[in-house]
Amino acid sequence: MSDLTCKKFILDCLIEFEDGTMAAEERALFQQHMELCPPCLRFLTSYRATGKTLKLLKPEEIPPDLARSVLAFVRARAGRKA
Amino acid sequence: MKPDGRAAQAEPSDLDLVRGIKSGNEDAFEQMVERYHARVYSLSYGVLRNAEDAEEATQDTFLTLYRKIGTFDESKKFFSWFYRVALNQAYSRARRRRPTTAVPIEDYLPRFSSDGHIASPELPDWSASIEDGAIARELAGRAGEFMADLPPAYRDVIWMYDVEEMSSSDIAETLEISIPALKSRLHRARLYVRQRLAEISQAPAPEEVSR
Repeated sequence: MSDLTCKKFILDCLIEFEDGTMAAEERALFQQHMELCPPCLRFLTSYRATGKTLKLLKPEEIPPDLARSVLAFVRARAGRKA
Repeated sequence: MKPDGRAAQAEPSDLDLVRGIKSGNEDAFEQMVERYHARVYSLSYGVLRNAEDAEEATQDTFLTLYRKIGTFDESKKFFSWFYRVALNQAYSRARRRRPTTAVPIEDYLPRFSSDGHIASPELPDWSASIEDGAIARELAGRAGEFMADLPPAYRDVIWMYDVEEMSSSDIAETLEISIPALKSRLHRARLYVRQRLAEISQAPAPEEVSR
């Protein structure tokens, strides 16, 4: 367990800890590490908050006439009938 | 039974539509536009961060689809080919708009002491502030600006996974990278955005400065 450092956790293992692909035993070790390591716990909290924040970036609305404007654009350039 | 007496038909697959477009079927092209225009717009928006540019890039992408559909290899998944077309269109438009220098991502990764403990100076914990919707949206806007400075290889992955919420396998196929490579890029991109958000949250309020 001596090689279980903040560095290993944050750089190498955090993504698998978060996406659920980490083996249960390894996960339990990191969970234990975090209970004893406030900086890692804070890091995890802000890493998760980053993910939540990014979800807000998706454009809230698609221009309502986009499909029509795409068709008109392509037809005009492709020489098709409207 | 339907009024016209026909049983409900299954939705045509992407491949059905591709074949229809190749044979000059106008209706197939319209259905493809209907099916993909919102996703192409959203992907383009991720690169361009501007509604007008994203709309124009979407138009260009479908024009490319129309003109180049003959080059699509039908043994591959259509969406991955088409998303690459969309990304190429968006990046070429972005380069015309403003030539960018990608940020050195290594400069924003956390630092550790020789014994493996966190050595980066402790920054304020801003994570609770996203409970406030207005602050969360402000931070998201800044995160979008920071992401725009990432090298495309990182930006595409974090946008597709965290914003578009595409599956790992779909992203890996679209970008033609392995799942481990995808995870590595995604993680580094998140570490970078996290660090940039932490830094803007540490600026003291004016009254604290004057104290």
